[in-house]
Amino acid sequence: MPTIVPPYLLDRIAETAGTRYPLAAEAARRALLREPPARLGPSSPGLPLTDAYGLPSALPDAPSTPDRRISDAQGTERLPGRLVRREGERATGDEAVDDAYDGLGDTHRMFDRVFGRDSIDGLGMPLEATVHFGDNYDNAFWDGERMVFGDGDGEIFRGFTDSLSVIGHELSHGITEHTAKLRYQGQSGALNEHVSDAFGALVEQYALGQDAEAATWLIGEGIFTAEVQGRALRSMLEPGTAYDDDVLGRDPQPGHMRDYIETVEDNGGVHLNSGIPNRAFALAARRLGGFAWEHVGRIWFDTLTSGELGEDATFAQFADETVRQAERRFGAQSREAEAVRDGWQQVGVLAEAGQG
Amino acid sequence: MDVFVARSGGLAGIRLTWHVKVDDQPDADDWFVLIEEIPWDDVPAAPAEPDRFTWDIRCEPAEARHPAAGTTDPTAAEPNPAGPKGAEPKATEATLAERQLTGPWRQLVDRVRETTEPQREAPRAPRSR
Ligand SMILES: [Zn+2]
Repeated sequence: MPTIVPPYLLDRIAETAGTRYPLAAEAARRALLREPPARLGPSSPGLPLTDAYGLPSALPDAPSTPDRRISDAQGTERLPGRLVRREGERATGDEAVDDAYDGLGDTHRMFDRVFGRDSIDGLGMPLEATVHFGDNYDNAFWDGERMVFGDGDGEIFRGFTDSLSVIGHELSHGITEHTAKLRYQGQSGALNEHVSDAFGALVEQYALGQDAEAATWLIGEGIFTAEVQGRALRSMLEPGTAYDDDVLGRDPQPGHMRDYIETVEDNGGVHLNSGIPNRAFALAARRLGGFAWEHVGRIWFDTLTSGELGEDATFAQFADETVRQAERRFGAQSREAEAVRDGWQQVGVLAEAGQG
Repeated sequence: MDVFVARSGGLAGIRLTWHVKVDDQPDADDWFVLIEEIPWDDVPAAPAEPDRFTWDIRCEPAEARHPAAGTTDPTAAEPNPAGPKGAEPKATEATLAERQLTGPWRQLVDRVRETTEPQREAPRAPRSR
């Protein structure tokens, strides 16, 4: 069984996170008890581990083996741009290049070690990204082959590689394209967006060793400049509250089916209505507590890869499938299945208790 | 002639709109030449690219300002006492994926963005059903 939490993190969390993240500390202690001692690393608990050069290392655990290729569009909109950093090459000193490299590594590691999926196709395909795309380009996207990141305009948006949840979001679009293929329009498109937010958030939580209680559930924290009145692009837990700014306006995301937005723009509001499943996911995760990738993450990954989901799946069909997958993995009467069902009921996607 | 450009989608889901009154531009003739080159009916299908921007471009005669078919954008609704003239061209509109935004499309959008500042609009307020 693959180690879900890097042992170094368990160590550190158990030792030091007690006051700030009591649940994480507790969970880490429990997980450490299950770990064979050999996995706990060479140093005594609480002491930083060191790498081959005797320097404190951020990632002493056995890493996954991504194949990253970062290119630089040098301010143009031409793809792929100039290849500037390949797997195993040292940091370039260009922050966007190195942040993309590190973020793809973190994302690859979570999918590989938690869900057993090696890269986007499950077969170790290269993770390709282009940074410095366009002139003051206020966006990041997945073009079907690679992740593309703009530098932002410097007034509202900083560089889009500044947020690990954004990097995880983009890579997850690739995974959805290779698994459930949710069509990027209307409800299935909002689910496509939701899946990217969900796994983007989990990548960040996994890297930080945060449990569901400690997690921010924000997508794109650190993307706005200090001028903007806002914390992030989106809040999974409280859709509609991520920003409220003179220039940007208010975060328009709904968090309940009664507020579902019908629009022709944005492929039918895929970045708006994703707030509804986002909230269902975060509510279920918080109700279960502990590390979200261990329960709702697994259930959602099972849903994505089950082959049972139509490409045009509606919110209700997706919700039913998550409940089925929760029952399959954790048991029909499990608290996991109950929490997932309850999350969907709270956002008005599944009917209230009483009927199945 | 009025040019309206709306950019929607994108990772942040934030909508921007631009509006240029071509008749008020010192180089109005250049604008008309450029708009003439736009292949309105020749927008090839593009593959979906998650999080990439979508561009909506609309040109309308200034004398007959009414919302064009297929759009819900209310920014054009500005009553004009002069009334419609018979010979004015009809409003034209197209929606393009960003990777289709090339040639005269791209030139027009770049020119609009150089000429005026964008308005940021929240998408329609959530409505209860
Ligand atoms: Zn997305």
